Amino acid sequence: MDTEKKVKLSLMNQPLFRTVMPFAGFIFIVVLFAILTGGQLYTPGNLKLLLSQSYVLLIACVGVFMVMTMGGLDFSQGSMLGVCSVVICFLSNVNIVLAILCGVLTGGLIGIVNGFFNVKRKITSFIVTICNMYLLRGMVAYATTKSPVYGVSNITSYNTMGFNLTFTIVILLVAFAVFRYTGLGNRLKAIGAGETAARFAGVRVEKTKMLIYMAAGMITGLAAFINSIKVGSVTSTAGNQLETQIMIALVLGGMPVNGGAKVRFYNIILGALTYKILTAGLVMLGIEPKTQQLIMGIVFLVMVAVFADRETGMIVK
Amino acid sequence: MSEVILHAEKIDKSFVGTHAIDHVTLDFYKGEIHALIGENGSGKSTFTSCLTGIYHKDSGTFTLLGKEVNAKNQVDGNYQGVAIIVQETGTLSGLTVAENIFLGKEDEFTKFHVKNTKAMNKKAQELLNSYGFDYIKATDIIDKYNFEDRKLIEIVKATYFKPQVLIVDETTTALGEKGRKELFKVMKDVKDDGRCVIFISHDLDEVLEQSDNVSVLRDGEYIDTVKSSDVTTDDLKKLMVGREMSGNYYRADYGEPISDEVVLRGEHLTVPGEIEDFSIELHKGEIIGIGGLSECGMHEVGKALFGASYDREGTVTTADGTQIKDIKTAIDHSIAYASKDRSTESLVINDTIQDNITLPSLEDIKRNHILHAKDERAFAEKYARQMSTKMVGVHQFMSALSGGNKQKVVLARWIGKNSDIIILDSPTRGIDIRVKADIYQMMDKMRKSGKSIIMISEEISELLGMADRIIIMKDGRQNGEFLRHEGLKDTDLIAKMV
Repeated sequence: MDTEKKVKLSLMNQPLFRTVMPFAGFIFIVVLFAILTGGQLYTPGNLKLLLSQSYVLLIACVGVFMVMTMGGLDFSQGSMLGVCSVVICFLSNVNIVLAILCGVLTGGLIGIVNGFFNVKRKITSFIVTICNMYLLRGMVAYATTKSPVYGVSNITSYNTMGFNLTFTIVILLVAFAVFRYTGLGNRLKAIGAGETAARFAGVRVEKTKMLIYMAAGMITGLAAFINSIKVGSVTSTAGNQLETQIMIALVLGGMPVNGGAKVRFYNIILGALTYKILTAGLVMLGIEPKTQQLIMGIVFLVMVAVFADRETGMIVK
Repeated sequence: MSEVILHAEKIDKSFVGTHAIDHVTLDFYKGEIHALIGENGSGKSTFTSCLTGIYHKDSGTFTLLGKEVNAKNQVDGNYQGVAIIVQETGTLSGLTVAENIFLGKEDEFTKFHVKNTKAMNKKAQELLNSYGFDYIKATDIIDKYNFEDRKLIEIVKATYFKPQVLIVDETTTALGEKGRKELFKVMKDVKDDGRCVIFISHDLDEVLEQSDNVSVLRDGEYIDTVKSSDVTTDDLKKLMVGREMSGNYYRADYGEPISDEVVLRGEHLTVPGEIEDFSIELHKGEIIGIGGLSECGMHEVGKALFGASYDREGTVTTADGTQIKDIKTAIDHSIAYASKDRSTESLVINDTIQDNITLPSLEDIKRNHILHAKDERAFAEKYARQMSTKMVGVHQFMSALSGGNKQKVVLARWIGKNSDIIILDSPTRGIDIRVKADIYQMMDKMRKSGKSIIMISEEISELLGMADRIIIMKDGRQNGEFLRHEGLKDTDLIAKMV
């Protein structure tokens, strides 16, 4: 019994297992729901719907992916999306380009606040971003007390599949190129795997962290734009629980929760898609929301346990 | 010979990619100090770790006085009669001395599910006193004591219950004169009591001095056992390496002039609690050795020059007048630094060989501002090979490498960066002779090609053998300076250290 357990554990540290497992999980989910829904999930209409629900998550995952690669966490994403959406909807009545710019800027500013408390005040990202999650949610609630914040009447006209898909793919491609071809990815992974050693190898750890928190905020600003054109207005629950969705998605994609060397960029895409198919499938099967939450919780816990990089240890920075 | 106390039968253990010990069969006798030697990665530590329950062996049996030992963990090993003192810190911060000594054995003081702390503290103090360490208080939090005292506490922890077999794994490199004496005394007590000590050390003189028999491992295989009184250190080296080693691996030249060109200048460096008003001038092609007792502040000098110290006062200036205030600037101005603390400062342990080698050179590896995976790999492979790193491939994780190979990766990184000023802190600490010889050769080559080296070292022979100029520090200040000279003796240096 004892030896058997050990063999299994060491299997999870095999590079091949780490690579194959999320893909296998994706295929398993796809096939499982194909069977359970009798193929209903994959009719062109449903696929389109599925895709339209995935853009915000895909984009928002990019920023958190980078934060988590450094060994940090970001729980403020959902509320941040809410605040950015308020800004975008409000300003879209003035000018749509100004709205996007200010939305991105707002995200960036919130990111800087996260970064400041994490880097300069040395509070773990977990605590800082949870505080900001509540703070920002409060701001969204204030802004939407009397009525939702409405965007300009034609704002939803941007909501076409062509626009959304291009927008999302461009963001993913740019992020990938920056992550892979500028050395940023290498530095982030090194920070995640061993911050002190990264510093001694010449990585400007504090600067990089600030930059990434800011970038994660700006990217969420972009996600807020997609959210705004889809809904056309903001209510107090905009972006609610997005942060948890992001985290579950990334972990489903095979990302170790504590970041480090074993992080791969495809974790984002694979994870977001797996997550969306899983939730859409559960909805289609008519499973109650509370049961859905239960299932997601179990899936999350299992995946975290499988993919955590135990050698790095559970250190949240 | 007397009776066998411990018999190891075909012990075998593999890690991913390496066969760490290959069916080793070995006998240990009552009343002996039995040294276990071999190069880094030869399997000494793996062997003893399997015995004491730190690792679990794949196959084979250990028989202690006729009973099979199958330790699930270290405490379990203790109950079965084996104990180990390790190289790195083996005590836990935040606990008291007594709690550390009886870690995992609290049950001995627990009655009706209530722990009797008072009895535990009393017992711990009695033990400390019986070892002659009465200045250590059992109720103190262990963090109050320095590294050496904590090692002494570990000795108590590992030996108070009279284990049949005591393993001392590379402990002496971490100890000063006083600690060594205490350790050797304890080892002798165990031996005189008719029990057995397994002694692992890289210091061959020490091995011959202390042990009765020496067993040699090479690449995980058992090679031979010899009587300490019959052999010389050269014989041992030969057994370890499998070929003849020339006795002298330091540089052979004396009296070569040093260039007047100053490449790095540190002026009035002060780091509170570490160094006081320390100044240094490094010339082109020069090797400066910095020595002293381990607490003299010399290790901080390396950090201060590299821009890595907190609260540093004074200035560090390169030849072109650049002020070095942070690590990035230092690296960009051709300064390299290999810390004494390999596992947290020098290397990202939970990362691959490739990532560790390329990390400071990413900008140099780029072609047209783009980092290509192929180039990264080629770069890492080139320098890992140049250092003849023993590895499966550059995608192997650092944590799987032995100490000597880790250091090779550190050096490969800085050779790859092609830095002109290299600061090496304890470059050969815990490293076997073959890798040592490689490192010395590399330093000599660097020096001849016009690079400048600062070597901080606790090994006096290394300072005498390699440095053009030796600075001895005491209490954070420079206390003596010696030029390279054939007649220079270790006693000259020691006189300035204490």
